[in-house]
Amino acid sequence: MNIPRGLKFICMQNISWRHFDFWLLGAVALLTLFGIVMIRSAIAGNIELVEQNTVQKQIIFALTGFVVIIVVAAVDYKILSALSQPLYVITIIVLALLVFFGGALFGSARWFTLGPILVQPSELAKMVIILVLADFLTRHQDKIHDLRWVARSLALTIGLVIWILLQPDLSTSIVIFVIWFALIWASGLEIKHLLTAVGGGILFLGISLPLMLITYNPEAEGGLIRPYQVGRVINFLFPAEDATHGDLYNVQQALVSIGSGGWLGKGYEAGTQVQLRFLKVRHSDFIFSALSEEFGFVGTVVVMALLFFIILRCLRAARLASDTFGALIAYGVAATVAFQAAVNIGMNLQLLPVTGLPLPFVSYGGSSLLTMLLGIGLVESVILRHKALDF
Amino acid sequence: MNESGILKNRVAGWRIIVFIIAIGLVFALYIVRLLSLQILGFDEYFSRAEENRISEISLSTLRGVIYDRNGIILANNIASYDVVILPANLPDDPGEIQEIYRQLSELIDLPVNLGEVAPETPYVPCVSEHGITQIADYGITSAPFRTVKIVCNIDRTLAMIIQEKAVDWPGVDIEIEPIRDYPTGSLTAAIVGFLGPISQFDESYYRERGFVPNRDKIGYAGIERYFEAILRGKPGKRVVEVDVAGQIVRDIHPPIAPIPGQNITLTIDTRLQEATEAILLGEIGDWNAYFAELRITSGVAIAMNPQTGEILSMVSFPTYENNRMARVIPTYYYEQLLADVRDPLLNHAVGAELPAGSVFKLSTAVGALNEGVVTPEQIIDTPGLITITEKYTPNDPGFEREFVDWNRAGFGQLDFLGGIANSSNVYFYKLGGGYKDEVPDGLGICRLGTYAHAIGYGELPGIELPDAADGTIPDPTWKRINHGENWAIGDTYISSVGQGFVIATPLQVLMSAATIANDGKLMRPTLIHEVTDAEGNVIQSFEPEMKWDITQDPIIDVFDDPTAPGGCEAKLTGDKTTVQPWVVEIIQEGMRLAVTQGTLSIDAVGFQKVDIAAAGKTGTAEYCDEFANEKNLCKPGDWPTHAWTVAYAPYENPEIAVVAFVYNGGEGASVAGPIVRRVIEAYFELKSIDVALGSQ
Repeated sequence: MNIPRGLKFICMQNISWRHFDFWLLGAVALLTLFGIVMIRSAIAGNIELVEQNTVQKQIIFALTGFVVIIVVAAVDYKILSALSQPLYVITIIVLALLVFFGGALFGSARWFTLGPILVQPSELAKMVIILVLADFLTRHQDKIHDLRWVARSLALTIGLVIWILLQPDLSTSIVIFVIWFALIWASGLEIKHLLTAVGGGILFLGISLPLMLITYNPEAEGGLIRPYQVGRVINFLFPAEDATHGDLYNVQQALVSIGSGGWLGKGYEAGTQVQLRFLKVRHSDFIFSALSEEFGFVGTVVVMALLFFIILRCLRAARLASDTFGALIAYGVAATVAFQAAVNIGMNLQLLPVTGLPLPFVSYGGSSLLTMLLGIGLVESVILRHKALDF
Repeated sequence: MNESGILKNRVAGWRIIVFIIAIGLVFALYIVRLLSLQILGFDEYFSRAEENRISEISLSTLRGVIYDRNGIILANNIASYDVVILPANLPDDPGEIQEIYRQLSELIDLPVNLGEVAPETPYVPCVSEHGITQIADYGITSAPFRTVKIVCNIDRTLAMIIQEKAVDWPGVDIEIEPIRDYPTGSLTAAIVGFLGPISQFDESYYRERGFVPNRDKIGYAGIERYFEAILRGKPGKRVVEVDVAGQIVRDIHPPIAPIPGQNITLTIDTRLQEATEAILLGEIGDWNAYFAELRITSGVAIAMNPQTGEILSMVSFPTYENNRMARVIPTYYYEQLLADVRDPLLNHAVGAELPAGSVFKLSTAVGALNEGVVTPEQIIDTPGLITITEKYTPNDPGFEREFVDWNRAGFGQLDFLGGIANSSNVYFYKLGGGYKDEVPDGLGICRLGTYAHAIGYGELPGIELPDAADGTIPDPTWKRINHGENWAIGDTYISSVGQGFVIATPLQVLMSAATIANDGKLMRPTLIHEVTDAEGNVIQSFEPEMKWDITQDPIIDVFDDPTAPGGCEAKLTGDKTTVQPWVVEIIQEGMRLAVTQGTLSIDAVGFQKVDIAAAGKTGTAEYCDEFANEKNLCKPGDWPTHAWTVAYAPYENPEIAVVAFVYNGGEGASVAGPIVRRVIEAYFELKSIDVALGSQ
């Protein structure tokens, strides 16, 4: 195989950079820049984070990410169809090695260190699974009405997710399942199958919930669910107003941060909840609360609008893509951005339980940002090569 | 493989639209939620954010100083050196921390590890027993930017050593905190009192005024309690912005400086107080030694200027050591004081309610003369015993009851001066209750009551002490309510000599004599000479306050048919009268005669040795309380007695009046008399020293 020459050949094909989605790139750049600015404000007062050069690191990741966008956009995504299987295998090997040896070598099964930076392969796995599933579903789209093929795509997903679950990283695993579901939905999952699944789920809950309640005993260790699990659910559903510590305290402080922002916010670097550190993990998981406090309702809606705009531009690429593979890639990226944004914001607004999912493009985190920008690069690659009907 | 499928975009458009709608709905829901939080909930969340960051710090103030009349300090604030740890400044390395703890532990003699801070054994600064690690860990977890006290009130030299060492011990420091000090200690404890912590009950009241429980203390007794509002001052306030760890970021408003409490100068003369205490305790000690048992358990001596009401000395025995309560009230000590049946925490001088005995005859005397029950010249027969018919109702056939004199031999024929000087019981029985044709109309309980009130009995004296009591002057209504019985003639007899239901405090006894000494002017007894602010400016200077002049102010109730049975209120005419000045003069003469020829003339009292003319009255008050009962002392006709004496001098222009009370002291004159005489002597000795020094 002579990929470099093939790459060159593909790149040199008559693509027109005129089709490059500058609106998408612009929105992404704006949001990433805003994220950096917000991280700078959020880490003020935390000497440790300042000393670790958090802002500088994020800037380097962002710059690298934009180079990645251009490079990936230049590469014809169609060759990724052939590369998806080796990528799948390599990713599984890396993840499996991390599970077995990561704890001993790097102190965690989630990442390995590459010089001063932590690399989190499970982030990259999101893009790999998009490519793998897009390839698989494109080739078998006509058989998607057959549940066995749906099951096969699920098996393919589980083959990768299992290693992430073992880390354990439940939230990334859920994201990957959501990608799987989004892609089989786009590929034409039968409505009756979906309804059956939904019905099955309701039936399952309908039987298991009463069973849980019947066997539930707060005193004993037996039963299908344990008291602490019930406690967590109750905590989320009926939060105690006067809790002063733990997760609940953090979520309460997030609400106070958001609510005290008002229409226009308290101003950049002037949010008391952020600057005086009442808000926890404010540079990553709860950066949405931080920006809500400092920029208020208006600033928050602008950020949400930018995110929505990015999702729409990705979906536009999916619509215009010249083939199903490209469409599913763009659609998969859109679904990833949409799901992560929805979960992260929902958590900040206390509409969803606390999970470790970052806000795309905005939250601090190199692997997450690079992965998202890589995804945008894929979308640009797709839109660059769409059927040019207009000329 | 379907080539056309690969080369064509076969993703259905409607499926993407469904996706867009789903995401759009979620985002719309989020915006609604944002609106409700940021716009509708703004006020609530904003105030919660403000609550997070704004913290009010109370700046402690200095309590006012208490001086005696000559400027000697009775209560003061002194520095207490406390070893503290500021957890945030401790080194990062646990090994270094342990090394600091270890070295500190050797110096302050407190284990590195001891006990555990738990709900059952909470950390209470300066009180609870915990190791250095436990206290520091408590600080780290609760408020890392606030100091926690490791040990309190260490020696100044040790504090200096630790201060020096602390240069190499980050996080360890010495804090200097003012604590209360009572240089005169137990000598003035009954007057000055002591401080204690702000109780849960009072917490909100004091918090509103800027005080902090566990840091600030409040008066629990004596002047410290009575003048709490004047002494405590006003704490300052800082409104600061704090971060999540409690570290102060900046002042939001300019700090308000604390206002120190005002200083109080008492009328007490510490030298006379010392003398009074020594005389009282010496006398009690001597008698107890003489009887070879702990017979006398408590006693009181008070000296007052009858013309101004200034209390010059006031000793209540037993008392307590208020310095032991300076920092904390030690539980075992406080419980010991509470368990003591002699009640050392009570200022007996103003709070003990006792049978007054013969000193109360002054009330009967003033009343009987003023109402014309007897004339000064009238001779009354005073045998050792009289018998009257005791009736509880008009139709009661009654029974014969004997009333004995303290002198069983009797005094024979007595005029008024003789009656007072010899303190004849029979004389005053007859005056109080009437006797056959000799004294056809006695004074009666109603009139006795109004005269007793006029010279200071039966009501609060107005002295600035929280434990002041009012005593009891009984009347028929009072007896019906409290004993469920009608008033009998015998009750009037007994009351006329200050026994039975009549109870009074030593201060009231002193006031009655001071009123006579001061020609009928009853001065409000006071302990306050002056109040000054922290800069020494006089806020309130001394002004003698006359409650009334019995010869001028109509305060004597006039009754219809005063000796008839029934309640006194019903017989009030509404008219008021005064005491004729000659009545007061005659009683002064009687009291003078008691010193020269009467009860106070015996050698044991020793007034002969004093070259200043004094006048006085003794009392030997029978009592039978729970303690006497316990010891089986209450034998009929031979009850144990309290010793009383009250006297003033110089006779012509009295400047000192002294009362002495000795619990279970026996005979008034021989036990309490010498105390009074010696205090008067001490007063004039001090006065001559002052004159010699030219300070007056």
